[in-house]
Amino acid sequence: MLALSRILARRLYHPSALEHQLAHSFAPLTYGPGSTQFKVLEHALNKHVPSYGFNERALVASLNDLDLGPSLLSVIGASNSPSFLNASPAVLELIKFHLVTKRYALTKELDPARTSSPAEPPALETLFHRRLELNKPIAPHLTQLLSSLSIPGEFLVQTALPELHRLSDDMVYFSKEPDANDFAWYSKRIALSCAFVSSELFMAQDRSANYADTFEFAAEKLHNVSKLGQYYNNTEEYMWYTLLMSVNLAKSQLTRS
Amino acid sequence: MLRKSVSRPASRGFSVLKSLKTTESPKSTQNAKPNDRFKPLSDAQVAYLDRVVRVDQAGELGANYIYAGQYFVLASKYPHLKPVLHHMWEQEIHHHNTFNEMQLKRRVRPSLITPLWKLGAFIMGSGTALISPEAAMACTEAVETVIGGHYNDQLRCLNNQYELERNDGTKGHSQELSSLIATIKQFRDDELEHLDTAIEYDSHKAVPYILLTEGIKNVCRVAIWTAERV
Repeated sequence: MLALSRILARRLYHPSALEHQLAHSFAPLTYGPGSTQFKVLEHALNKHVPSYGFNERALVASLNDLDLGPSLLSVIGASNSPSFLNASPAVLELIKFHLVTKRYALTKELDPARTSSPAEPPALETLFHRRLELNKPIAPHLTQLLSSLSIPGEFLVQTALPELHRLSDDMVYFSKEPDANDFAWYSKRIALSCAFVSSELFMAQDRSANYADTFEFAAEKLHNVSKLGQYYNNTEEYMWYTLLMSVNLAKSQLTRS
Repeated sequence: MLRKSVSRPASRGFSVLKSLKTTESPKSTQNAKPNDRFKPLSDAQVAYLDRVVRVDQAGELGANYIYAGQYFVLASKYPHLKPVLHHMWEQEIHHHNTFNEMQLKRRVRPSLITPLWKLGAFIMGSGTALISPEAAMACTEAVETVIGGHYNDQLRCLNNQYELERNDGTKGHSQELSSLIATIKQFRDDELEHLDTAIEYDSHKAVPYILLTEGIKNVCRVAIWTAERV
């Protein structure tokens, strides 16, 4: 409940980026591609995380590669408060960095604010598939990643859940998927988030060649979500039809007698 | 937006889900030069805009359903009120669609308790209409008074607090903001016109007049407070 209210209290208004500058180009990260933090984290994510996983060893290896002192480890994690369960703040920052940059990478060619010739909006399934593709290099360490993301605590409320919501919001906004103006806005995003998390969980256990099973699973999951949405819409439309018809029938009977 | 509102058919079917079937047209992509761009909005400014869009969308949804309820009860019994109600209802539908589009474009979340607003507004509209046509007009009067005042508060804040600075040092409103302000101004005038119409059609002759109008005004204030936040 507390988590929900925190997420609801977060602002979501997006001013037109063609007219207004953004405070941070990779919000909610407060540093840009030019900064040391960004360079270290990007290097670690691309070079060392695939072999070491999300831990301090990957970060230290990157710091050594870039000729930076190991004391920078505490600088990198400065924006996270220490976790009770012994996860280093720097590792949490690495996880946050992974989530945020992968989300931005997904919509790089679609966002008119970041490219001069945005591509045609793809189908929702394509974006979903593409986001899972981006997980491939780190797939052996997904179990570890997902467990750090789901530990109850500040990180879950402040980063993991909002980031999941932003991902599904981006996927709906930048795809052809028609959006809703009422409660369906919420159900659509929640259903999409659930489908994404379960696909990631599946991917963590997947041993098939090139994760073929995962993509099959994800496609089916997404298909189920849209089918469920259609069932609901059809039921609602039929109920409206029946309601209005019975009212009109009653009216006509009343005028006859 | 204008094109869309013109091409919309004049009559509505029973489907409440038609909006799901229309796909949004691709966004315009004229790129402003970097120097013409405005410095970033502050967090507080963004948070206020978020509230404005959400509460206005919820409010217009409510207005739309209030008129739907009134029209549902009164249209066949009092034929002389039918064109009046129909005209006001059409305007509210246009307002509602405008804010729906803005909500999607600016990626604001709609109010969480939208189903409650729909139900409550319909009950309020049809309930007052069941008492008498004068009571329905008193309901319109009360609602439009509160909405008009609320729009004025928003305009005051948008005009005072959103003087933005461009990168080359000049100041002004961005197009996005001036169009929002123009929209709200237009809608406020429409709502106040509805208020005049309601008084013209004997809203003051409603029987528990003070009770009705003051009660409904309070309900509206509580609804506005809630829709801004939840």
